Amino acid sequence: MNPVIEIRDLVHRYGRTEALQGLSLSVEPGCCHGFFGRNGAGKTTAIKCLLNLLRPASGSVAVFGLDPARAEAAIKGRLAYVPDFVAFYPWMNVREALEYQASFRTRWNRDTEASLLGRFGLDPRQPVHGLSKGQRTQLALIGAICAEPELLVLDEPTSGLDPLVRREFIQTVIGAYQEVDPGRRTVFVSTHLISEFEGLIDRFTVVEQGRAVLTSDADEARSKFRRLRAQFEGEAPPGEAFRGARSVRREGRLLELIVNGDGDRILADLRARGPASVEVESLSLEEIFLTSIQTGGTPS
Amino acid sequence: MAPSVFGFRGLTVIVSYDTVSLFSMTPHVNFKSGVPVYLQIVQQVKAAAAGGALRPGEALPSVRTLAEALRINRNTAARAYAELESEGVIETRQGAGCFLKANGVSPLRRAVRSDRLAAELDAVIVQAHHLQIGDEELKALLAERLEAFRERLQARVAH
Repeated sequence: MNPVIEIRDLVHRYGRTEALQGLSLSVEPGCCHGFFGRNGAGKTTAIKCLLNLLRPASGSVAVFGLDPARAEAAIKGRLAYVPDFVAFYPWMNVREALEYQASFRTRWNRDTEASLLGRFGLDPRQPVHGLSKGQRTQLALIGAICAEPELLVLDEPTSGLDPLVRREFIQTVIGAYQEVDPGRRTVFVSTHLISEFEGLIDRFTVVEQGRAVLTSDADEARSKFRRLRAQFEGEAPPGEAFRGARSVRREGRLLELIVNGDGDRILADLRARGPASVEVESLSLEEIFLTSIQTGGTPS
Repeated sequence: MAPSVFGFRGLTVIVSYDTVSLFSMTPHVNFKSGVPVYLQIVQQVKAAAAGGALRPGEALPSVRTLAEALRINRNTAARAYAELESEGVIETRQGAGCFLKANGVSPLRRAVRSDRLAAELDAVIVQAHHLQIGDEELKALLAERLEAFRERLQARVAH
């Protein structure tokens, strides 16, 4: 099947600032694809290009194989987008806000709506202006999920949600959404809460300074990225001696290397220098993210 | 099994029968182990079955319950169960869920089972080399661990 999202060498400028400097990534159907990056790295700009809210300066974007500039309505009918800041007409109540959202959709699952309203504890009669930020986020999420889209684009979906509700959302709501049609329901989620979403993520892309510095399958990244910690009797050897290490930290007798894929070779090299002890640990997704932006990484 | 719902003076209590099996076997995911998530679950179910924490015929948590408890993808949980089923460790009964196989006879041919264990042993041998543990010490260690495993099994059966 064709990728649900395909971005190639995307460039976008705000005045003279290049927010996106040749971003490339692709999202497979049925995947939960994480989109990680610092503030200002270009995540929201990239998402806006997907939705035709911004036009690329150069490069291409395709959603469901279609160009957002030419097939905006066709694409939007098949996806749902929940931005970081959600807004509703303040005079409406929850029920009216949902009816309003539903009116734009060809599909709307009433059972899901009732279930999510109950799960989130939202009163249909409550006016929108009286809702907290978290509750407004929940309202937007209900609107997105009840429409039963093929693609869910989420930008910080748990913003404003308290830890309990956040956990519930991550544990249940996304799972329930994808479970209905596993091969064909795709989630593209941009978030800072990498460790909270870690279990859900199949593949991810790290963006830094408008470029993808790492795109990988989650399990594969976790097996390839490792931290080697060696304690030596005397002074630790210089880090430059270990070619291919992504990063090196040296403090007296302690040498810490982060490796990606070359782990076995570098580990053997390290052991050959006779350290007093060696510890090997794999990195979590959040640590992999931090490593890939700190060392600059090679654009992939 | 569907959860039961009791109402008592406005207080609703939901009892999920799935949590019963979760207590006898609590899987967990270590994102820093470098081992694919689905494989961790497969290994833990096998360990629970081999060690007696999971009894033959006992129900496993449903894919949904497992995924929610571990905060992982349903696909990942489903993949773990599919792998366990293909290895003959568990079986799925339509409408009832997944259960640990009663007789535990693997559908895989002996040669395949041997090959799989050989691969695991190769990994151990490499590790022993890295840890500078000699052949005799390795064999002694294997005998020791086997005995410890049998003892644990005996202790469980005795209860």
